[in-house]
Amino acid sequence: MATAAATPEVFTRKASGLVRVMSPYSAFIYNILTMGLIFPWTYLWAPGALPGGKLVWGILLATVFEIPIAFAYVWLSTALPRSGGDYVFQSRAFGGFWGYTLLMSGFVIWILQWVALSGWLLSYLGFAPLFLGLGATTGNAALSEIGVWFTSANGIIITSIVNAFLSMLLLVSGFKNYVKVQYVMFYGILVAFATTLIVLFTTPQAEFVTRLNEFAVRSGGVQNFYQAARDAVVGAGIDLNPPFSMLATLLVAPIAWTSLQWATYSAEQNGEIKEARSFKNQVFILVGSLIVTGILLALLAMAFERAGGTEFVYIAGAGYWSLIPEASISGFNLWPNILAVALTASPLVVLLIAFGYILNSFQIVNNCYIGVTRIMVAMSLDRLLPEWVSKVHERLHTPVNAHLVYFLASIPVIWAYNKVGGWIGLTLGVTFACGYVFAATSLAGAVLPFRAKEVYDASPGASYKVNGLAGLVLMLIGAAAFVWTTWEFAAVFAATPILLWLVRLLGLAAAAGVFYMFRGQLGGWVRGAAMPWVTALGTAGAGVGFAMVVAFLLAPQLGVLGNWDFSNLPSSLWSQIIAFGILILSAVWYFAAKAAQKRRGINVDYAFKEIPPE
Amino acid sequence: MPLFGKKPASKTTTVFFATDVHGSERTFRKFINAGKFYNAQVLVMGGDIIGKMAVPIIQEGPGHYRATLQGRTERFEGEEALQALRERIGTLGFYSQVLEEGEFHELAADPSRVEAMFHDLARERLESWLDLAETRLAGTGIKCYVTGGNDDYPDVLQALHRPNAEALVACEGKLIEIDGEHTMISMGFSGPTPWKTPREIPDEELGLKIEEMIAQVADPSRCVFNFHDPPVDSTLDTCPLLDWSTDPPTQIVKAGQVVLHGAGSKSVRKAIETHQPVLGLHGHIHESPGATRIGRSLCVNPGSEYGEGVLRGVLLNLAGGKVESYQLTSG
Repeated sequence: MATAAATPEVFTRKASGLVRVMSPYSAFIYNILTMGLIFPWTYLWAPGALPGGKLVWGILLATVFEIPIAFAYVWLSTALPRSGGDYVFQSRAFGGFWGYTLLMSGFVIWILQWVALSGWLLSYLGFAPLFLGLGATTGNAALSEIGVWFTSANGIIITSIVNAFLSMLLLVSGFKNYVKVQYVMFYGILVAFATTLIVLFTTPQAEFVTRLNEFAVRSGGVQNFYQAARDAVVGAGIDLNPPFSMLATLLVAPIAWTSLQWATYSAEQNGEIKEARSFKNQVFILVGSLIVTGILLALLAMAFERAGGTEFVYIAGAGYWSLIPEASISGFNLWPNILAVALTASPLVVLLIAFGYILNSFQIVNNCYIGVTRIMVAMSLDRLLPEWVSKVHERLHTPVNAHLVYFLASIPVIWAYNKVGGWIGLTLGVTFACGYVFAATSLAGAVLPFRAKEVYDASPGASYKVNGLAGLVLMLIGAAAFVWTTWEFAAVFAATPILLWLVRLLGLAAAAGVFYMFRGQLGGWVRGAAMPWVTALGTAGAGVGFAMVVAFLLAPQLGVLGNWDFSNLPSSLWSQIIAFGILILSAVWYFAAKAAQKRRGINVDYAFKEIPPE
Repeated sequence: MPLFGKKPASKTTTVFFATDVHGSERTFRKFINAGKFYNAQVLVMGGDIIGKMAVPIIQEGPGHYRATLQGRTERFEGEEALQALRERIGTLGFYSQVLEEGEFHELAADPSRVEAMFHDLARERLESWLDLAETRLAGTGIKCYVTGGNDDYPDVLQALHRPNAEALVACEGKLIEIDGEHTMISMGFSGPTPWKTPREIPDEELGLKIEEMIAQVADPSRCVFNFHDPPVDSTLDTCPLLDWSTDPPTQIVKAGQVVLHGAGSKSVRKAIETHQPVLGLHGHIHESPGATRIGRSLCVNPGSEYGEGVLRGVLLNLAGGKVESYQLTSG
């Protein structure tokens, strides 16, 4: 017989309950790992492409920009604590078309590039420095040769495929097995990260040049490397002491966002997180992991700059961005971990650093599979991908087919990443593509109280309100960030006045369109009526998020998507054609799948439409 | 074969199945409207319809109240706010009762009175749902079949058996003609759970009850098995393994990780493997929604998100002894 009991001011009865696997702490760790402490772009790209930009400030700005987005995810995750996160949020707020098209293009397809990247990181920043460092510190040429093989295209391709295959096997064997390995990866990475920081912070500045030169010689480089690199960089016309630039500092933020935008990736596994409906837990998981990672990345930037001075940072940046070979050692750019390996004479330190970076590289490919396969399963259950994609293995309890499909799809991308000239330049296209997913989800959070009122009202975040006027100020800050970015960079992008004003007007229209969605509430908010906090933060987050997405699309300093060259079409715009082609392909697939299902008597819209209760 | 499957036969019966609404007012209202919304001729509710929690709304003074909801104690005033709170509590699947401070403490000190209160509140809500179903489905031709689940009080479920009901049919233990071609049998009991719920029995006994019902079915291949408990190790029953010796049950952790297992019924699986029905409709394990095939039989568990006011369900097109197509919904 059932019995009943009184807990503080609530009566419960004995009934079966739902239990979830992943603890909030595991999800917190998962997000930190996903943000990739080892992602090296910011440290060399920013000084190389953005002279006068302040690295540390740019990272901290990106953290601040991401905070409202992370908060929007908190509200969404507590209201809809389901696996498939972004796809569920967007399809609920905007309908199936937008949810499918943005997630299919931005996540499912573009993250294949991230699978290839993780293999590259593993090979180039994990195994290669390991063997190169050991070779240099022990004087063993064979080890150095192995290190060089890991930098070759074939070495990276083989490493990448093995990396992806092992990840698939691990995840197919059961999510619990992955979580066990995750703890090993987390602490291994923390040790490596801390070791890197210690080496960079404690190396006497007076010995920096000597140690770097010694490492270069041991690794097969030139004598007096530092001076040779400096001369080459100065000879190329690069200013090693540029004046401070606010614009350049602002543009560091989108680069740092490459890491920090992943603060919310645990939302894809909300269905597996214990007490995912708890507001406090989600703040810890999403906002907490963001702030911790932002601080750690800023610390690494400080350490990097302290070790060799500002001048060195620009030399290292020029080696990467301006492709000056004299500013790299044996083909290695001077990423923070390479620098730490170079500055230490201890094989143990080399091992600790390399091991951590190997673990983080492996972690990244796992994250690709975990998040994307859950989205694919959700899409399949909605009948937008074939039914067999969502088939779960009876014994292993994992979506084996989705994993297999994603592994097979990653192989040609891995090949292209390392063999097709210029393909690697698309890597930061992932930040653009995933950026529009994250920013759109932030906007989904903003409209949640109005588009899914019942779901919102039943959520724990529904009671958090802000004065309408104060909320409008936050919304306007987001809109202003977006409009300013579009306005500013349209001038860089547009070759003709018509194009210039077309882009600017589109930016204004998009911002106005967001406010139009709230036309029924604006009057009340102006008079100070309560506004849901998620609307204020979600709109502000979407504004800064889309501003960074636009920056990637229009600013040439931020990679290939921002380089609009109309002189030799279509080859001069191939990266833009790929980016928009993926979007169009996803949209076409949506309508094709919908039509195919209609012939079978299935209305795909039913997967997203809410039944009116009255 | 087309990527997304083949074209359906011309004559189909559309069935909408949902389960485990656990007292959620909004979710049940959506369920009743689902027939018109999805153009389904048949609605099936798979059990666990009674709520799990009652929230006392304590009257601190005239028009002044406090209540603890989702871990937070909220204070409010006025009848409008009281009504809004009661609706919110109903959406979450909870019951509410306005009590004086003293009444609350007396009640809290007497578990048998709390138990009786649950029965009364559950019966009251179920009665109101039956009224709603009869009103909304009248003249639509839509049939609504409801069974209990393991979490439901047997005495409260008696309310389902209304002699003059037209649209809503208590289907447990009955052989139902869904249309001219397909039948349905229903079983709301489950195997043992660590929560010791009102309607659970040993798995062997469950198997005997199931076989008794199947004996009434002329052609099992055209029959729908509406069994609350999912088949064991079917992917529709995956959940953490629990320690039954603690109260409440706790997750078993090995090497720092929660152990997952299939918590479904062996007897249900055996019945499906042996008799190969056209379709298995299941619930019970909220966190394991999906669809799978056991032999030729399609088995589905839509999962449940009653607490969010979301009605998870499955739309199925039946024709000629086959499931022509199906679709999981989240309405």
